[in-house]
Amino acid sequence: MENYTKYKLKSTEELVSLLADKDNLFVVACNKCFKEFKLVDEPDCDEFQKIAAENGKTITGSARIDFLCNKTQTEKKLQDLIPEGTENVIVISCGLGIQTMADLAGKPVYAASNSLNYRGHHGMALTRKSCDACAQCYLNITGGICPIVDCSKSLVNGQCGGAKNGKCEVDGNKDCAWEKIYRRLEKQGRLEEFLNQPVQIRDYSKVNFKVVNDYVKAIREERFAGYYGGVHPSERKEFSEHIALERFPEPQTVVIPVSQHVGAPANPVVQVGDTVKVGQKIAESAGFISSNIHSSVSGTVIAVEPRLHPTRGGDCLSIVIQSDGKNTLHESVQPHKDLDSLTPDEIIEIVREAGIVGMGGAGFPTSVKLKPNKPIDAILLNGCECEPLLTADHRVLLEFADDIIFGLKAMLKTVGAEKGIIVIEDNKPDAIELMKAKTADCDNIEVVTAKTKYPQGAEKMLIKRVMGRQVPRGGLPADVGAVVSNISTVKAISDAIRKGMPLIERVVTVTGERMKKPGNYIVKIGTNVKDLIDYCGGVTGDDVTIKMGGPMMGFALSDVNVPILKGSNGIIAIDTDHTEPVACIKCGRCVDVCPMELSPLYFAKYADEENWQGMKDRNVMDCVECRSCEYICSSKIPLVAKIKAGKNAVRGMK
Amino acid sequence: MLITQLKSKETIASLVNGKVFIINCQGCKEVSFPEKEAAEFQKKLSAEGKVTGIITTDYICNPENMKLRLSYHQAEIDAADMILVFSCGVGVQTIAEYFEDKKVCAACDTYPLPGFQGVTPLEYKCDQCGECYLNLTGGICPITACSKSLVNGQCGGSKNGKCEVDSEMECGWERIYRRLAQLGRLDLIKCPTQIRNYATDAEVSETK
Repeated sequence: MENYTKYKLKSTEELVSLLADKDNLFVVACNKCFKEFKLVDEPDCDEFQKIAAENGKTITGSARIDFLCNKTQTEKKLQDLIPEGTENVIVISCGLGIQTMADLAGKPVYAASNSLNYRGHHGMALTRKSCDACAQCYLNITGGICPIVDCSKSLVNGQCGGAKNGKCEVDGNKDCAWEKIYRRLEKQGRLEEFLNQPVQIRDYSKVNFKVVNDYVKAIREERFAGYYGGVHPSERKEFSEHIALERFPEPQTVVIPVSQHVGAPANPVVQVGDTVKVGQKIAESAGFISSNIHSSVSGTVIAVEPRLHPTRGGDCLSIVIQSDGKNTLHESVQPHKDLDSLTPDEIIEIVREAGIVGMGGAGFPTSVKLKPNKPIDAILLNGCECEPLLTADHRVLLEFADDIIFGLKAMLKTVGAEKGIIVIEDNKPDAIELMKAKTADCDNIEVVTAKTKYPQGAEKMLIKRVMGRQVPRGGLPADVGAVVSNISTVKAISDAIRKGMPLIERVVTVTGERMKKPGNYIVKIGTNVKDLIDYCGGVTGDDVTIKMGGPMMGFALSDVNVPILKGSNGIIAIDTDHTEPVACIKCGRCVDVCPMELSPLYFAKYADEENWQGMKDRNVMDCVECRSCEYICSSKIPLVAKIKAGKNAVRGMK
Repeated sequence: MLITQLKSKETIASLVNGKVFIINCQGCKEVSFPEKEAAEFQKKLSAEGKVTGIITTDYICNPENMKLRLSYHQAEIDAADMILVFSCGVGVQTIAEYFEDKKVCAACDTYPLPGFQGVTPLEYKCDQCGECYLNLTGGICPITACSKSLVNGQCGGSKNGKCEVDSEMECGWERIYRRLAQLGRLDLIKCPTQIRNYATDAEVSETK
């Protein structure tokens, strides 16, 4: 692997003369990027401090910072870092880090290092290949060998004639690039084309920095929009976003796990042989943080046994019901009083009884969210659906707008919040327009359009974006006066109140580039995923990955004979991603995209070393597992798996 | 960081000869890759029956990983007369080296970005001159902040603080003067004349 460290310490003589009239130094060193990640702290800082000490200088303190040029993070790290009495700040870094410090430090900043002058080293992975960004790629006429970087003289019209025995006359260790080009084209039978090529003229005109600056500004604005970090994966929602909801045909049997939520698994209250009806409670909540489970069909219980759980990687006690196809409603399914006459406690009880849990995937019991122990200013309805491919919430917004507004009003009444905010990403203009029209006469409901960015739907990001508030480390939305709820969850609340119907079905997007017939379906909880895929025409080709959820945070299903759960918003069939991790090159992109402002590269390093304390110290527990870091990783390191291992180990440390 | 731009449609069309296998690299796409334009062009090409396969991946300059990914498409690659790569120059060279016997073409140009060497686009620029002047200039780089990359003070052509080359740009040396005044270090202005060393990487960086 090629290292291309970007700077080195200036010579001792130069440093001695630099320090001659300066004292009380604070030293900031950047841990080098673009090199194999072996050391946590680079040695340059120690070397400099030694030189300074030998010259009788006082060092007021020192800091080693990763990616010093990452201004947002550096600014935070610098707060209160530079001690009183510091007169000069010495920076050991490439020119980018030095300029960043010069802007931030508020004190004279001096460079103790020079950037290394490497020509043409661009690209993310550390390869020997280089590109000089000449803006007029010649590779098409040279068989993919770059005359600008590989020829010492950057000739674009053939050899200079000075090569001896195939070696360059400027650098005897280097092969003549034009000889290499000739050989390769000869091999490909392209010599005639090559030799008849008209003369190439290189355009040396000065770079239009304005274009570049504007571009850079636009990119940075996008990256920082609303909250730090995040990524923009290809959305690919066009497969299914315009397809209206369709009711999936009645399943013959349903398999309903008693654990589809955060908290204690529910206790079954039916036995094999019992007859059950639609909406009948079949398992009872086993604690404050738990949830009831209801039958989604009418028929007979044929088994109560462990079955494969789609997202937990193992078996889970499940109730298997054979449908009689009649869909007979249970007598408990009765509309409740109208919203005005229901008290908040009654609404909470309805929601709890109906087994409603967060349907965005997390599965936190909604009734618990409705009883916050802090005053709530606003309820945020999360209609972002920031996961690529998925369109379930989008369709619910379009087709159940009235139910959503009713559910939101019920929530507002329950928690006593002043305001309900429906947040929709700008890639769903039809939903925004509809909700705006529908809520025009509601003073306390607002529709907010958010610029699309993943993972906007994560509740902490959503609160930051919409309310500008930061949920404290380890805290909950209620700590900053917010309750966040998913669109489908609110629709379920409406069904529970208006129809008395517990949570027994949900909208599932079945899609992906390998799914034959994508669509959005209303599916009963417990329906077999394989049946759903078959109904959509199956998948195309081999080597397909099926995931429950979206491509970013979804769970890969090795066996599709698993049931749809309350939190299953999608079933996707996508190309299998064949990747082979290589060593971390400290490119820093994971740090640039982590919305929780963590340094994921350390999690990979520490997990391999089983340094769980190190992971804890770097706040691994704050990770929301959005997978942005893994998505952007240039070395393809399975960061989230390593983070999960670290979280488990940290939990075990207590 | 590299910015890639699609070559003109006519240019790409003239490159296509026979059946093609297409490789898109979105490795730096958070920075820039003309995703929509590339997809549109490729759709048209596919409709004409000229495409044996398309893969869209990232960091094709990551050699081990790329080798593995390509191995899953060997048949499609064999069926193609040439490979069209939508990536920066690094990616095209990497692919060209894998398939020495096949014509490999670049469908993109790389935008010239001297001085933008950071990981992601930053407002700061470092031209990697190899002899940092920032100590004499209050941390403002005269190589990139001055249109003329002067290292010994202003050219005298600025008007109302704006550069005579680009009137929307502030005069880098005026910024330097202000910063030094603010820091109480105007004495630095009196430092001896700087001579810039234009030697290339190998000569300057002994470590290389």
